[in-house]
Amino acid sequence: MKRGAMHLPPLRGLAPLLVGLAAWQILSSGPAPSFPPPSTWWRAVAQIAANGQLVPAIMETLWTFALGLALAAAFGFVAGLAIGAVPPLRRWSALLLEYFRALPPPVIVPVAVLMLGYVPSMKVSVIVFASVWPILLNVVSSVSRVGGGLIDVGRSMRLTRAEVLFKLLIPAVVPGLLLGVRVATPLAIVITLLIEMLTAMPGLGGLLIAGQRNFNSAQVFGMLVLVGLLGLTVNLLVNVAEAVVLRRWPPRGLAQD
Amino acid sequence: MKDRGLVQGTGGLVVFLVLWEGVVRSGFATFDYLPAPSAVLAALGKLAAGGAFWGEIGHTLLAALLGWAIAALVGVVAGLALGLSPWLRRYSLASIEALRPLPGVAFAPVGLLAFGFSLQMELAVIVLPTLWPVLVNTMGGISALSPRLGEVARSFRLGRFEATLKVYAPAAAASVLVGLRLSMSLAVVMAVIAEMVGNPQGLGYAVVREQQALHPAEMFGYVFVIGLIGILMNWALMAVAKRVLPGEFGRPLAMEAGAR
Repeated sequence: MKRGAMHLPPLRGLAPLLVGLAAWQILSSGPAPSFPPPSTWWRAVAQIAANGQLVPAIMETLWTFALGLALAAAFGFVAGLAIGAVPPLRRWSALLLEYFRALPPPVIVPVAVLMLGYVPSMKVSVIVFASVWPILLNVVSSVSRVGGGLIDVGRSMRLTRAEVLFKLLIPAVVPGLLLGVRVATPLAIVITLLIEMLTAMPGLGGLLIAGQRNFNSAQVFGMLVLVGLLGLTVNLLVNVAEAVVLRRWPPRGLAQD
Repeated sequence: MKDRGLVQGTGGLVVFLVLWEGVVRSGFATFDYLPAPSAVLAALGKLAAGGAFWGEIGHTLLAALLGWAIAALVGVVAGLALGLSPWLRRYSLASIEALRPLPGVAFAPVGLLAFGFSLQMELAVIVLPTLWPVLVNTMGGISALSPRLGEVARSFRLGRFEATLKVYAPAAAASVLVGLRLSMSLAVVMAVIAEMVGNPQGLGYAVVREQQALHPAEMFGYVFVIGLIGILMNWALMAVAKRVLPGEFGRPLAMEAGAR
């Protein structure tokens, strides 16, 4: 599953999608309650934008998502380093972490609603709780793969503990952290939207579910396209960031055990 | 070595539960709705004695497995076609890459509009996101095969269909299974989401219902059961995979694709 730094498929591959949408537009005659033609999607989104709801919703969703993912990355990195560097801690917590990772993230939403209530910090805590596990586990596994040997190297070079940590361990773990962040990114987007849908808190998820509740199907499809574009953009940004960071901290060849 | 790891892992779990119980019992916690593990266990016992509980588990399992089966079928067939034909790949890969990052949750309102509160709505939400891991892994598995395999098939004078069935598909099986496994855990997640947002049946709805009724012990009980189902289904698929493809599954999988 190794992906090149920036490897985009040829644009002519978009043809089936565009042909499908065009066919939808041409073939749908008259009002279609569930599957409105694409031209109406644009109008529906433009209307929300004219109401002044769209931009704040996008900002709200993006901000919550970014804050949650950043906190998850920071927390997963620190906790992962600690757990990975202390083998007994790793063994004792293995099953617990496995369970938390296997727990379908959406079920955390009702739990958090009940325990924390409808506050903005609830949204962020749920995103952190849901997306921290792939990051944490990837950091733990890359520390445990690389750690022992590197610590011995550091000792033989008479480095202090801080030097071992900052000069050897952390750079070696960065690729694992990135893999975790990439896995966690779509997860964090989904959870952000889901919380907004379930709690009707402001954001794109709220607009999606509002469209459905008002039987405004054009709004639902328009928001769907918007959310898809958002997902695409965020994924591209993460890929670019990954390429940049990996150039600075290339994966080390010490992983062979 | 492995047994010791399991013992210590279980020990860690027990320590966590005891700490949790202690925190709640001592009144140390400031959360109003945090039940002790013992209360959750009692609630689970009461739920298991009633009839609705098993029906809810059955409904979620049915939806997840049905959606997964549809996604697996479509994904393998489409992945085979895309993997075998570079022309088809050139003319559709960008469409797939554009659709793939669409978050699955966003399909819940569409499914609700089209199908109302029904199993079909759940399937609509489950199938699309779970399709991608199967499709992409099948396609990748086929297109990564050595071209020599095609020469082998040709020298045996196998027809296109026969070559696909007897040469390409088995060679790509490991990669297909990776996709199937990712899809399965995703199918459970999507079923729960569909039930939380839309169709008021099954475990996903049960969690939301208990939350709204302010029954934290029952809610945590359902959450526990959902986690357990995810783990058990993964184990079952791994057991099947180990039997079908011994040797391929010793190594840990890179974790791709969380919920979408």
